[in-house]
Amino acid sequence: MKLFIKFDINTICSLFLKEKLEEENLNFSTLGFGEIELDENLDIEGLDNLKSKLAPFGFEVVENQKSVLVQKIKDAIIELVYMDDNNNFKSSVFLAEKLNHSYGYLSNVFSEVTYSSIENFIILQKIERAKQLMLVNEMSLTEIAFLLNYSSVAHLSTQFKNTTGITPSAFQRIIKKRRENLK
Amino acid sequence: MKLFPKFNSSNSLRVIFVIAVFILLFLSSLGYKHNQDLNASSKVAMHTYEINIQLERLMSAIKDAETGQRGYIITRNSRFLSPYIYSRDKVNTSFITLKKLTADNPVQQENLRRLFKLIIQRFTSFENCFKYSDPKTYDKRKLDNHMFGGRILMENIRFQVDKMNDIEKKYLDRRLKIYDQEISLSPVFSISLFLAALLFILLAYRQISKDIQRLKVFNKKLLISSRLMSESESIGKFSTWQWDLDTQKIDYSDNQYRLLGVRPNAFVPVQETFLDFVHPDDKEAIAASMEEIVTKKHLPFIYYKVLRADREIRYFKSTGKLLTDKQGSKILLGINFDITDEHLLNIELQERNDELEKSNKELASFNHVASHDLQEPLRKIQTFISRIPEAEKAGMSDSAKDYLYKIEVSAKRMRVLIDDLLLFSRTNTTKKEFIKSNLNELAENAKSELLEIIDEKRAVITVSKLPKLSVIPYQIEQLFINLIGNSLKYSRPDTIPEIHIESEKINSSDYPGLLDQNTRKFHKITFKDNGMGFDPQFKETIFVLFQRLHSKTDYPGTGIGLAICKKITDNHKGYITADSTPDKGSEFTVFLPE
Amino acid sequence: MQKNALHILLADDDEDDRLFFKDAFEEVRVQTKVTFVHDGLQLMEHLMTPDIKLPDILFLDLNMPKKTGKECLIEIKKTEHLKNIIIAIYSTSSSEEDIEDTFIEGANIYIKKPSDFNTLKKIINEVVTLNWHYHTSGLNRDNFLLRLK
Repeated sequence: MKLFIKFDINTICSLFLKEKLEEENLNFSTLGFGEIELDENLDIEGLDNLKSKLAPFGFEVVENQKSVLVQKIKDAIIELVYMDDNNNFKSSVFLAEKLNHSYGYLSNVFSEVTYSSIENFIILQKIERAKQLMLVNEMSLTEIAFLLNYSSVAHLSTQFKNTTGITPSAFQRIIKKRRENLK
Repeated sequence: MKLFPKFNSSNSLRVIFVIAVFILLFLSSLGYKHNQDLNASSKVAMHTYEINIQLERLMSAIKDAETGQRGYIITRNSRFLSPYIYSRDKVNTSFITLKKLTADNPVQQENLRRLFKLIIQRFTSFENCFKYSDPKTYDKRKLDNHMFGGRILMENIRFQVDKMNDIEKKYLDRRLKIYDQEISLSPVFSISLFLAALLFILLAYRQISKDIQRLKVFNKKLLISSRLMSESESIGKFSTWQWDLDTQKIDYSDNQYRLLGVRPNAFVPVQETFLDFVHPDDKEAIAASMEEIVTKKHLPFIYYKVLRADREIRYFKSTGKLLTDKQGSKILLGINFDITDEHLLNIELQERNDELEKSNKELASFNHVASHDLQEPLRKIQTFISRIPEAEKAGMSDSAKDYLYKIEVSAKRMRVLIDDLLLFSRTNTTKKEFIKSNLNELAENAKSELLEIIDEKRAVITVSKLPKLSVIPYQIEQLFINLIGNSLKYSRPDTIPEIHIESEKINSSDYPGLLDQNTRKFHKITFKDNGMGFDPQFKETIFVLFQRLHSKTDYPGTGIGLAICKKITDNHKGYITADSTPDKGSEFTVFLPE
Repeated sequence: MQKNALHILLADDDEDDRLFFKDAFEEVRVQTKVTFVHDGLQLMEHLMTPDIKLPDILFLDLNMPKKTGKECLIEIKKTEHLKNIIIAIYSTSSSEEDIEDTFIEGANIYIKKPSDFNTLKKIINEVVTLNWHYHTSGLNRDNFLLRLK
């Protein structure tokens, strides 16, 4: 006899995955097709173990090489921003040399993964550093602008305002009041 | 304020007078003494003179005797003998007088004694001459001898008399010399003393006249102030009364009567009628507070109604004080103010205040409505419009598309209007926290706020060095945004907009418009553009809320932006002015106090 | 983007706003799980439920019945296990006073509710991206202030 079985590959896979993951004592939730979320973060061994358990059934954990690269880009940017004599570096050149990829490639990967540009991230980090210098080192805007290689205080101010929506002085005032408020 | 001048001079005056009196007493005693001395001296002179006379008399008696004797001897006529006989008596009388005169002087007495001896000898010699000249017993040799002896004796007598005269004269001279010495010193001394006394008296006189002058002035002032008091009582609608608690005598000032609606001194105030004019409602309270004054010595202001003779109700404010003078008598002092006008005004003011408060509250709730409730539906209208997919829009009829577009534009305009209105009302209602801010920073913030339109118009904005001032940062930033935004909006279409912001420090005295300000130093910040400008006759009105110089189709706007600027400068006790040359550009000037 | 879906909680009494919000998140490129509460009391009850997965970002309307957003904010910041939640104020008000006050009370983000759906999407994207940066790049969350118009 011939039977026509209507099956939903999605359900099967989901059920199978569920079984396998429960075997491993992993709690998870399904986010959509081919995507699950584990309630805990696995270390590399755990991840390798899971990979080897699923591999015989044709399941493959797509390890995102790009995520790794993005992390590397971020680390490099942070390194660059926190370098005190970064005057000589153009960020694109610095990143390309450091990560051994063309800047265009790095830029594409970064945007693809984070939905934001490298430039924005650099600005974000610089403003973050400016905040720190302002609050921890109690430096003036002029000093900060000089240290972070801004052409003028106005430039720093504008970028600060564009990034955070508030002016540096308002930021300072709010944080100060917030700290007093906590006491 | 010292009511009475302190006459310190009275003590010094007393001292001056005592000194002057002493000097005068001294002077008169000095005069008396001089008089005495003069008297004594003249007595001495008289004395000397008398002695002199007596001695002369003595001499002349002896001479008479001698002459008589000589006559007799020559003529033998006994008539010549009578002067001789008398001369003996005369000599004796003179002698006795002389003896009396020289009683105080042993030297002269001794001389007198010697003189007398000589005189006796002389008379003996006379007798002898008679004897030997008598023809019966005539003896020429003896007579000659005796005559000659008489002659020598006479010489001796004269000598003795001269001696005595000399002594007296010397004595007189000495006496006169001493007197002269005394007398010669005293004129200078007494004149200087006299002058000193005169000086003191003059000083005293000057002081007295000065005091009198001052007294006059104070008297005048006193007179004026008492007149003033009575005038000010009637002008200021207040009055005073005094109540002597010991004698129970009550005194009303003239105005007290007037305030009670009667003529001054229309009745004699007594204790029993004191509260007659107080409105029945307040009688009890006033009676109680009258007692309170006596115990507490003073009274805080009390407010009550007075029912005047003409039945008019007036409102009084009164206070009182218990005064105790040095003699221990107690006087109650009271002041009444007729505050009817103020009271009525106050009531009116209170009512208006209540109204104002009510309308303020309404305004505040309107604010809330505008800020939240009114915005909500509008935002939803806009959001829902934005959610209509382009694909579906494409399927609509042209008129539907047009309507939708118009809805969108209107909603947008309403949004701007609400936002501006909110901004305007917020510049008043939000807490005004002044923070020392760098205006350059605020200008930069404003520029970055307007970045899009600046880029779009490729505007050139220059900002010179601006001061650091204590301001409300959001508001000054808003001021910059509005003024720069205004210049960008009304730029000339064919010209790249240029805006120059400059600042200088000025004195308010150089700018008549700022004179009513207390602050003297201002920062003048000018915003100069090359835009289309406006007719200068509107330079005042453009700051009025909802005043628009252009139709809203030409230039969308709410007519609130510049009104906000004005409000912001007002909040900073500053000033904003505008001027313009049409088609050349406008200049807005903001004055902010230092 | 990230493996873990972002937990979003919105406290807003306005049904339309919740709808816009839900739709906007659906169009966001990031995997999210959005939960709604209708007022302040419900919010606090939700957050205090034992063993609940706390939101990564809490969007908080200020003008809510029963308990205002500001009251909730203060309460959350006083509660030990809640005080690290990233809080985004999501309000109609754009008064500087409200903005500064809520920042001082510990809000990280202040969003004026936009009147355009695309803007809302843009804003949500920005918030999520920035939050992720803060999450993954070791940025100091105490200094995390963002104002969006």
